[in-house]
Amino acid sequence: MTTKRTAMVFPGMGPASFEDVGRFMVANRFARELVSVADEVLGYSLVDAFREADGDYSEAAQVAFLVNCLASAEWARSVLGVEAEAVLGASFGEKAAVAFSRALPVAEAVRMTAELARLMDDYFSREHTDVVVLSFVRTPEEKLAEILAELDAQGEWHDISCYIDEGFFMLSLRESRVEWMQQRLRSIGGMPLYTMRPPLHSGAFGGLREEVEREVLSTLSFTDPKLPVVADQDGALLTTAEQVRTMLLDSITRPLRWPDALAGLKEFGVERVCVAGPDSLFGRVSCTTANFEVLPANPRLAMTPRRRSALG
Amino acid sequence: MWDETFEETLRGFLPFLPPGEALAEDTPLREFGLDSLGTIELLGRLEAAYDIRFLDDALTLETFETPAVLWKTVSGLLPGVQA
Repeated sequence: MTTKRTAMVFPGMGPASFEDVGRFMVANRFARELVSVADEVLGYSLVDAFREADGDYSEAAQVAFLVNCLASAEWARSVLGVEAEAVLGASFGEKAAVAFSRALPVAEAVRMTAELARLMDDYFSREHTDVVVLSFVRTPEEKLAEILAELDAQGEWHDISCYIDEGFFMLSLRESRVEWMQQRLRSIGGMPLYTMRPPLHSGAFGGLREEVEREVLSTLSFTDPKLPVVADQDGALLTTAEQVRTMLLDSITRPLRWPDALAGLKEFGVERVCVAGPDSLFGRVSCTTANFEVLPANPRLAMTPRRRSALG
Repeated sequence: MWDETFEETLRGFLPFLPPGEALAEDTPLREFGLDSLGTIELLGRLEAAYDIRFLDDALTLETFETPAVLWKTVSGLLPGVQA
């Protein structure tokens, strides 16, 4: 049997409720092992903290997402027989990609995730307190440029934080302009989806980048990744500790460019992507599905009883 | 009540609706598996099937909450057809 060249892909973080993944975290053997590593690093029970946490992006929710992505990848490797030749993480997924590539040990990736969550929480409670990220689809780039020029004319700050797919963007802007923006998008046939906070991926957050470098990344020793890491900002193939570390920092101030990241995978010869973790976006947009065979590996599938024949 | 094209198209986006179960006016679409990307794709399919274009107030996630609301929007965009 010939195996298609495969990359492990870790999705960005979306809302994943405890109900969706809690059973996986206590019952799946790969998840349980990682949860116990996390418990030790955190000094509290990850599962208990996640169950009780408020909001979609609490510290516990972030560490749980990391753990569930890494456990899904282990499940894919062990049960589905996935051998990855490269790894790519979208936005938050970079953290899982770094651990999967072994540029950081899992315990250190957990500590980094928890400390970054605290630092970001603190930063955005002081700075850019009125900035949110609005996602929308069906908006051709040239039409979007016209709308952004109108924001410029109003003297309103804005920045494209994510290029997700053709006509699919996430824009950072002040919360007070969201309603105007939504109406303007609808008037050209665009469809606004959600607003999110905290924002990320904008040159305006240079202060956060400095704090992260000084207070978190300087305490971690990165090693060269065991397999190439593809940067989600531009699709560059990263092979050294320093490059991986820089990718994590750049992610704070540079936009996520998903089509470019995928182009990097394609250039490397990847034909199939295993999307490891809860995902309702990155493995499903057309720039992913049109270019790769997509093999999902997530808590829901891992908890579904498998027929022996399906294992091949 | 909606037509067969609408019923068939919509059902294709509801993975958790058993094949034999009727689609009610107030079936909560999200609970039956219509998520964000499904919504976007469904929107495109409906536009193609009925040769219509969603604009302005039709382009909200609320439009996709139930079959009744969605059909009202679709039929409202059809030339000369009463909802």
